[in-house]
Amino acid sequence: MDNVALLRRVLLLVVLFAPLGFALLTVGSRGLARRLAAGLAAVHVCLTGGLVAVCAGDFHQRGERLAAGLSRPTDGFRPIAVPGDTSTQPDLDDGETAWTLFELAPTGPGVPPAAIQFYVGLDGLNLWLVALASVMTLVGVLASANVAADKPGRFFAWLFALQCFVTGAFVSYDLVLFYVFFELTLVPAFFLIGKYGVGGGRREAARTFVLYTLFGSLLTLAGAVGLVLTNPTPINPVGAEPRAAYVITLRPDGALQLPAAGPVTFSIPRLMQNVGTWALTADYTVRWAEARAAGPDVSLAEAGRLRAEVTAAEVARDRRQRTQLWLFVLLVAGFAVKTPIVPFHSWLPAAYAEAPLGATLLFSAVLAKLGTFGLLRIVLPLCPDAAVAYGLPVFGTLGAVGVVYAALCAYAQRDLKLLAAYSSVSHLGFLVLGLFTLTPEGITGAALHMVNHGLTAGGLFAVLAVLYDRYRTLDVNAYGGLAAHLPGYAVLTMVLCLAGVGLPGLNSFVSEMLLLAGLFDPAHAPRWGFPLACAAVAGLFLGAWYTFTMLKRVFFGPSRTPPAGPPAPLTRAEGIALGLPAVLCLLLGLFPQPVLQTMTADAAVVVEQVRAARDRTAPPPARPAPPPR
Amino acid sequence: MTPPVTPLPDLAAGYQAAAYRMILPEVALLAVACLLFLVGLATPRRLVAWVVGLLGLALAAGLALAPAVGGAELGLFGDPAVGRTLAPFDPTGLAGFTRWLALGTALVVLLTAWPELTDGTAAEYVGCLLVVAAGTSLCGRANDLVSLYLSLELLSIPTYVLLMVAGRGQPGQEASVKYFLLSVLSSAVLLFGFSYLYGMAGSTNLGAVVATLTDAHVTAVNPLAVVAAVLAVAGLGFRITAVPFHWYAPDVYQGGPTGVVTLLATAPKVAGFVALARVLGLAGPAAGVPFDASHTLVPLTLWTLAVATMTLGNVLALLQTDLRRLLAYSGVAHGGYMLIGLVTASAGAAPAGGLPTGVDAVLIYLVAYILMTAGFFAVLLHLGEGVRTGDDLAGLGETHPVSAGLLAVSLLSLIGLPLTAGFVGKLLLFVAAFNAPATTPMGGGFRVLAVVAAVNAAIGAVYYLRLLGVMYLRSALHPLPRGKAGPALLAAALCAVGTVALGVYPKPVSDAARVAVPAKQ
Repeated sequence: MDNVALLRRVLLLVVLFAPLGFALLTVGSRGLARRLAAGLAAVHVCLTGGLVAVCAGDFHQRGERLAAGLSRPTDGFRPIAVPGDTSTQPDLDDGETAWTLFELAPTGPGVPPAAIQFYVGLDGLNLWLVALASVMTLVGVLASANVAADKPGRFFAWLFALQCFVTGAFVSYDLVLFYVFFELTLVPAFFLIGKYGVGGGRREAARTFVLYTLFGSLLTLAGAVGLVLTNPTPINPVGAEPRAAYVITLRPDGALQLPAAGPVTFSIPRLMQNVGTWALTADYTVRWAEARAAGPDVSLAEAGRLRAEVTAAEVARDRRQRTQLWLFVLLVAGFAVKTPIVPFHSWLPAAYAEAPLGATLLFSAVLAKLGTFGLLRIVLPLCPDAAVAYGLPVFGTLGAVGVVYAALCAYAQRDLKLLAAYSSVSHLGFLVLGLFTLTPEGITGAALHMVNHGLTAGGLFAVLAVLYDRYRTLDVNAYGGLAAHLPGYAVLTMVLCLAGVGLPGLNSFVSEMLLLAGLFDPAHAPRWGFPLACAAVAGLFLGAWYTFTMLKRVFFGPSRTPPAGPPAPLTRAEGIALGLPAVLCLLLGLFPQPVLQTMTADAAVVVEQVRAARDRTAPPPARPAPPPR
Repeated sequence: MTPPVTPLPDLAAGYQAAAYRMILPEVALLAVACLLFLVGLATPRRLVAWVVGLLGLALAAGLALAPAVGGAELGLFGDPAVGRTLAPFDPTGLAGFTRWLALGTALVVLLTAWPELTDGTAAEYVGCLLVVAAGTSLCGRANDLVSLYLSLELLSIPTYVLLMVAGRGQPGQEASVKYFLLSVLSSAVLLFGFSYLYGMAGSTNLGAVVATLTDAHVTAVNPLAVVAAVLAVAGLGFRITAVPFHWYAPDVYQGGPTGVVTLLATAPKVAGFVALARVLGLAGPAAGVPFDASHTLVPLTLWTLAVATMTLGNVLALLQTDLRRLLAYSGVAHGGYMLIGLVTASAGAAPAGGLPTGVDAVLIYLVAYILMTAGFFAVLLHLGEGVRTGDDLAGLGETHPVSAGLLAVSLLSLIGLPLTAGFVGKLLLFVAAFNAPATTPMGGGFRVLAVVAAVNAAIGAVYYLRLLGVMYLRSALHPLPRGKAGPALLAAALCAVGTVALGVYPKPVSDAARVAVPAKQ
């Protein structure tokens, strides 16, 4: 058994850092650069496949245990395959690491270190995103048939570097480590757009992209630091063993014994518990004080003191919530830009249009997921109260506006690349909307939709790469009747486009249904759900409209051939680049349950954290009883 | 608490020998400098002066490595705490860290300045450089207004000579005169402020001064103390190029010889921040005399200074085309970031769990700042005087891949991307800002500072990224000659390695900073 645990850890490290090695291998190659890169990417897909094979079973069991009521989702994220696991038994995972990168403050034994750690691991939420990054890098390499560069090796090296950093952000469980990887993606992206871009405005686009993202993510850094420092590990303030975990007790004067602030932590699972504990104690303090003040045998002098206690507790709770709101705003800033959520998307058209197609493919399929994944992994679990209060009203609305607005924009585009770009914004708006419903269906659906959207959006850009290769333009008016020339290509394109539209039997249908189910859930989103869901459905309809219009113009109607003669048939590389996502779309559409099952347990963790916050904000009658002691 | 001001002649005599041992490396530096002035008369060759300079630094480093003088010497006064309020030099606290910082800076500048040394003036150049290093180093050790002021002058006066000696032509002379006049003015202002401090405390000892400042604020804000603090901040603000005392920087950086400018961009910043921290009682041996600055106007003064400095520095840097002016404003902006550390330190935070309180974050940021700024200047010197504006760097990635790579490391660090020193510095400053208590009269102002810094860092990224784009995304306009200055390239490489090393593994530096500024209990 210990072999499996060890294998997982080693395999995760290999999957994470192999792309950097690939980058070094490809950087000098010239003539064979693409073949070499494709071979390496294929090797990586195999490695990732192995990782999925040895890990997915565990997550599947988690889902089953949860469904059977054998485990509760209150334990927080429990990653496996953590290198440097602190477990003393070789065959068991503690889910915490001993690999410390930078210790900010010394702590005694038995207390988690106040340190930035190399804390990476896998759970049901990020496993499939790692796999997606691997597959999409292969597709991206294959779709970059003719990079406009004299040194194509460097282009592929940057692609691999991007893959490494994105994967690193997906698997990070340390807040600062996540940020490090999140920020490092900017460097390859800058060079991919600025140096290998296709248009004249590529330098400007690269700068705008980096600066815009940096602006958001620096705010995220400030928010992350604030979050860490305002949520130290709560420790027991009394007793001989001050390090023991905090348990709610009463002080001699009858008030609740509040925890003492212990060392800070950067670990996301720990932070999640700390946030929960602090919010819970703040809430319990208020309610316990209220209960005592309303007690039957309270003398007059006592009553005044208890009222003051209630007020003080309320002030403390409100201050905590106000702080969390600010931190929420700061944290969301970076992710809103990265996703992008609609008013923050203005960097996107230029960046996507100027970048080479292979890079745009990765941006849209994988890089954009960093934004939504950050919301799922960091914002929702660590700012649950603010997310409950402002998530759906503000960001849900923005998401819904984005769905419709971006769909209309996509419809208006003549450039197919921009059409795909806006279509991506539209779908991600839907995803964000579903995420902020904070329902089990919405969050699971969002987790699944990240993978699905990666496949369909990436596949769509691979489709465009083939077109661009034949026609040297992406103006929709240049095409016509392509189905007659390239029937196989037309079929693959159809599959990918229909998957994007959400046809039953293909992958997006499953996740979109879950997202809609979350929106229509009357228990959780009574006021905001329905109009937003209507907007989302309208966006889906518009999506179908512009997709079919595009398909009609490109594949049907009078035939238009490029100046150089009829378009050449698909090469083998292109066949794989289109076939791989298409097949995966079909597989995920027909058999979503195995994948979905692995996600449920970890999605339930987020849901549980949010549910606790919702209970806290619920009006008094609906609240659970005060603590028994 | 009334400061013990009675001099104790016997004990002080016993202390004298210890004091000399404490400043032995600095004395060695000064001796080598004097030797250099003589050597310059004997032989005009620059190689000789340069090698003697390197040997002098090595000697000082060797002496500094010798068993450190501990706090025990202060016991010669009877009680170490009493010693702290009497001794002109203090062996504890910032002294060691500042010394290594000064020696490291001097080494980098000496390597960088190689192409600028000319036969005939090299000895003066190197000699002055060593004196500057000695002055900077003494700033961290000074425990007395007089010794602190003398250390600062020891740092300033050679820089006037350096600007005159190495700066030829009109811009050089203009820069030299401008720097001289303003520097002298700032010294006068500082001295004026010190005189108020002395007037209040009746003693020149920093421990006594800080104790008096604490007493002065017990009941209400003491106007005299406010005037003294503002004057001291103004005088030292010149050294750290804080707005509004930064006006000389762009002109001097543009006109002055690049090697000297590298020195001006680094050494006075170290001295200025260390001196500010000491005078305001935020760091150092005054630990026995806890000065609670949080209820004075010091935090507000520094807060305003920090916000103005970083914002104006960044915004004005956006408008620059000349690289040296740009670096001047960038230096202003980074000075603003570092001020955050002093602001939060002045909140008098009892640090939660031994986290950075501010001054240690400033020290780490100083290291990062020196590495990235000196690295940038070193590449400029390596490329030669032909590089004046950003456009001159066009296509550097293709034509000079090594120089471009080193410059890119420095730029990424200036932006504050992860895995570089700049990121670690910013992270720790943010931690310090959020760690400051919200219960002082400043309220949540310290946390706001972190957000202001984040926005500013994003503004700063605009002009750094522009340079990166120019280097890598454009083709060369006119070919630059091959760089010939090997030592300058070596300095740049050292800085780049240091930048990445500090970014990846900050523990050694952060531990040293923590030792230098022990957390208050």
